[in-house]
Amino acid sequence: MSERDVSPRNVNLPFKPRTIVIVLVVLAIVAGALSSFYMVDQSEQAVVLTFGKFSRITGPGLNMKVPFGIEKNYNVPTQIIQTMPFGYRTERPGLETIYSSGEYPEESLMLTGDLNIIDVQWAIQYRIVDPRAWLFNVEYKEQTIRDISQSVLNVLVGDRTILSVLGSERSNIAQQAQILMNKNFDLYGLGIQVTTVQLKNIVPPKGEVQNAFEDVNKAEQDMERLINEGLEEYNREIPKARGQAAQAIQIAEGYAAERVNQARGDVARFLSVYDEYKEAKEATRSRLYIEMMEEIFSKSQETDLIDRGLDNFLPLKNLQGGTQ
Amino acid sequence: MKKLVVVLAVLAVIAILFIAAGPFYVLQEGEQAVVTRFGAIVNTNITAGLKFKMPVVDTVVKYPKKILSWDGNPQRIPTAENQFIWVDTTARWKITDPDLFYASVTTITNAFARMDDVIDSSVRTIVAENLLREAVRNSNYINTVPEVPETVIKDPEGNVIEIEVAVGEEQRFFENVEKGRQRLSEEMFDRAVQVIPQYGIELVDIIIRQIRYSDDLTASVYNRMITERNKVAQRYRSIGEGQKVEWLGKLDNEKRSILSRAYETSEQIRGRADAEATRIYAEAARVDAEFYEFWRSIESYRKTLPQFRKTLSTDMDYFQYLHSMNGN
Repeated sequence: MSERDVSPRNVNLPFKPRTIVIVLVVLAIVAGALSSFYMVDQSEQAVVLTFGKFSRITGPGLNMKVPFGIEKNYNVPTQIIQTMPFGYRTERPGLETIYSSGEYPEESLMLTGDLNIIDVQWAIQYRIVDPRAWLFNVEYKEQTIRDISQSVLNVLVGDRTILSVLGSERSNIAQQAQILMNKNFDLYGLGIQVTTVQLKNIVPPKGEVQNAFEDVNKAEQDMERLINEGLEEYNREIPKARGQAAQAIQIAEGYAAERVNQARGDVARFLSVYDEYKEAKEATRSRLYIEMMEEIFSKSQETDLIDRGLDNFLPLKNLQGGTQ
Repeated sequence: MKKLVVVLAVLAVIAILFIAAGPFYVLQEGEQAVVTRFGAIVNTNITAGLKFKMPVVDTVVKYPKKILSWDGNPQRIPTAENQFIWVDTTARWKITDPDLFYASVTTITNAFARMDDVIDSSVRTIVAENLLREAVRNSNYINTVPEVPETVIKDPEGNVIEIEVAVGEEQRFFENVEKGRQRLSEEMFDRAVQVIPQYGIELVDIIIRQIRYSDDLTASVYNRMITERNKVAQRYRSIGEGQKVEWLGKLDNEKRSILSRAYETSEQIRGRADAEATRIYAEAARVDAEFYEFWRSIESYRKTLPQFRKTLSTDMDYFQYLHSMNGN
């Protein structure tokens, strides 16, 4: 019994050592099996390291590796276009993207070549093209991308006048920025490719300066409005004047035709009468005279006729006038 | 059987202890390591993989082999013309000589402190030696880009008004820069690079991330921008006023000349007609002047007499038979 007390061999173990070993081995096998598979998403590529040394790059799907941490996989989203904003931040992307109201002058304020100040917001889009380079060449990747992007935009804006940055050079800046950024990133072996540089808001500094710039736009509108007013007046009046001119000429033409035709008519009538008159001068003459008088008297009833022998006519006339 | 289990267990414990003590270590891609034994460097590893070291006595110090960033605080520096600007620079660097790095600075934090001194001073020196435009601009590209006016305005004669000249934005000439920002960065780099290698560090580049005016300078620049814009706005409005008045003047001019030309033409037409009529009547008169006069007179009486208030004497040819059947 004393032997039983001191010797562990005689203790009634809940499991036999054999069972423990088997359990351990099974656990090891399960752990090994689990750690020898890894998944790679369709949008990713995986870089596999064997004892920290680069071994291979694998594509999407279920892949195998040597278990127990001997091989490690690092998944890199190589198909996803990533966006990085400068001078603004996106709060919640969506159908109507909400932008954070914060301002980032330390990113967006720049000096232009004519020593003015301008506020530029932009975004870059990039894709990781070389996952191995992306993982192992540069330490502070995001910071590096931000630094280069900012520096490149500063250089490009610094080489142009504020007006051309606001206007004609906009697309050129975006193009140049993409080229220069890619050149720098290639130099560092960052393993990314900038696919687009989008210039967002380019505005003069907020407040009074911006108001002054807007006032120029307004002034430009005012200028066009004033010119149009003048032009409108001109377009309203000149055709009218042309019409009036044409009218005056038409009236004159009418007068001319009337005058000449009348003369022709008068003369024709005279000549016809004259032809007859030649035949019997005295008779025609007195007939014409009498006809004329007849016409005059028959048209007017208020003619006073005074006898040639009457000496004092006036009182009578007055009396008659008074009774009316 | 039980003996075997004990032996196995002991072996396993020893193996675990051995591995835990660490004769092996893994050096990842992008890492490098200095192995020290009692403080002295015994080995340097710069390639990735499974590495061996003496357990217990050896210590492994890992450093990144990647390109690292250095981000300085913006500095307020006067340029050669004594204008104060904030210059924000960053640099990229890497540890190229881990032994030397271990010996001279040991930690990355220390390295940053050393670089702050070196790079800040070289940035300060170079900026202070150069004019503002050398730091702001990179090239003379600015003089090749036309400052195009946004609108094309035509005057009443159809000539395009040269807005750019008119608004005081004529193609300005900017003093050429001799070096430009890129060159300044390189000069900063050249200065810094003379000092940096003694820390086992290789500088990749120094870049100017941002240049800003100091606050008081910003205020005066804002004022200048505002007055410039006001001038331009004023100019646009004056052009508008001027053009409007010009249009109205052109209107008045054309209207008058159109109407007076019409008057001239119509009077000519009338005159010609009058002449023609006169000629026609004269022709008739020539046939028999005396009769024509008589004819014309009775025609005229016919027209005019009925309108008069008449008091006639019977002492007229017409009434000759009124007093006597033989006339008179």
